[in-house]
Amino acid sequence: MAIKIVVDLVRETGATILFLLVVIRTVARHGVSMSQVVDQIYVIGFRSLPTTIMAGSFVGAIMAIQINLQLRDFGAQAFLGGLATSVTIRNVGPVLIAFMLSGKVGAYTSAELGTMRVTEQIDAIRCLGTDPIQYIIAPRMIGVVVSSFLLLIIGLMVGIGGGMAVSEYHLGISAQNYIQNIPRLVSWSSVATGIVKSFVFGVLIGAIACYKGYSASEGAAGVGRCVKRTAVETLVSIIVADFAISSVSAFWHELAFS
Amino acid sequence: MIEAIGVRCLILWEGVFALVSLFLETVYELFLQIFCARLRGRECLLQCYSIAVQSLPVVVFSLTFTSLLMILEFSYHMKMVLRQDSLVPAFSTMLMLRELGPVVTCVLLTSRVGASIAAEIATMKVTEQLDALRQLSLDPIEFLIIPRWIASVLAAVCLSVISIGVAILAGASIASVSLNYPVGQFFNTMFVFARFTDFYDCMIKAAVFGTLIPIIACHHGLRCKLGAQAVGNATTAAVVQGTMCIIGSDFILTYLLYAV
Repeated sequence: MAIKIVVDLVRETGATILFLLVVIRTVARHGVSMSQVVDQIYVIGFRSLPTTIMAGSFVGAIMAIQINLQLRDFGAQAFLGGLATSVTIRNVGPVLIAFMLSGKVGAYTSAELGTMRVTEQIDAIRCLGTDPIQYIIAPRMIGVVVSSFLLLIIGLMVGIGGGMAVSEYHLGISAQNYIQNIPRLVSWSSVATGIVKSFVFGVLIGAIACYKGYSASEGAAGVGRCVKRTAVETLVSIIVADFAISSVSAFWHELAFS
Repeated sequence: MIEAIGVRCLILWEGVFALVSLFLETVYELFLQIFCARLRGRECLLQCYSIAVQSLPVVVFSLTFTSLLMILEFSYHMKMVLRQDSLVPAFSTMLMLRELGPVVTCVLLTSRVGASIAAEIATMKVTEQLDALRQLSLDPIEFLIIPRWIASVLAAVCLSVISIGVAILAGASIASVSLNYPVGQFFNTMFVFARFTDFYDCMIKAAVFGTLIPIIACHHGLRCKLGAQAVGNATTAAVVQGTMCIIGSDFILTYLLYAV
């Protein structure tokens, strides 16, 4: 039983990576229709904006309130802006917003591709002599990666705004103070970590959702199963990737400043 | 322009009205079932298994690692400014209990459970199984929604309590391993700020979110139009509105529970 789980895990991970490589190779060799990519970015990215803005402001506001509680006893509230922003963009923001996006973007993409697979639309495209990976998968994957990346960045910026609004109206720290503190405590490496994390999470959501949808089987119940598996695997891989990137960036930080 | 805004407002109003009336109908039907002792126990148990038990591993895993991440990150930042991190465990526990525990658990449940409920009911509608149920004089609210509602409320409450417990234990171990923070001291500082009533508040929040998830999902499933595309749209709408309602109601509940 335990061995079977491990074997399944390794096989699924390997298959997802191979699938990602096949898509990259196809795009590099044959290119991809730009208008379809833009279409996908509109469908996936633009319609997720409300969720992202909600999630981003929630994360920023909670972090500002929480850090204010910790700083209040030491009378160090002047640092609130910098600390809350740093916590939000380095680690907590990308992970929590990616959790919410994986539910929305990942479920939508894998459900759509899974329905196409079980209703044999993908086989029909292959019958017409077109490569389904180039025609269906590549635009979607690029669209998901680009729009998740952009949404995560937008979410982080909204998070800064949310923290600022809460501290202005609820905690009694003026927005000017809040903003002035940000460059003092937020280093470029924190910003870079946030951006790299956003990109990696986007790739993870895109690759896993497309692979799961593409390899769905066994009718309508199979589509439901592949949506559930997508959610689970994206969540787990986001957490693993987050810890990996954090430790790499800490290692690099130590190397650069020692 | 103004006409478009008006049409949108009307559509929004209609959706909210339908959602609220679905909720009230479900509550009415639940009381009816309880008093007439015809609650479908077997169906409820089946739903509890597929909603609560099967979501347990991923929810506990995600929430535990989120809390570890939070503790490490807060301690890094507090050391940067204050040169000490003695308050970190207390505040991360409080954050878990008050906000992140119920909200993250229920957001994960929305994307896992809400999506599958919406997809299932929308597929039933598209393939005319709902009409077949009505022909057999089985009410979809009684037959489909109430078991899912009960299971989902139980799932939200139990899963947030379980995962907060695991997250606190994991936080204590990571604090003692990588921050040199003794376990005894961790629990001492934890009880300075986190009170036991926080636990009840967390369960109240989880129960409210657990009500929102299936009602919104069933609402979108039942209103689904015909066709495979519509099933996808219903699923997406259920996840989006579920997440937004959870975060919105979290702000209101936090205000009601802690500020008043």
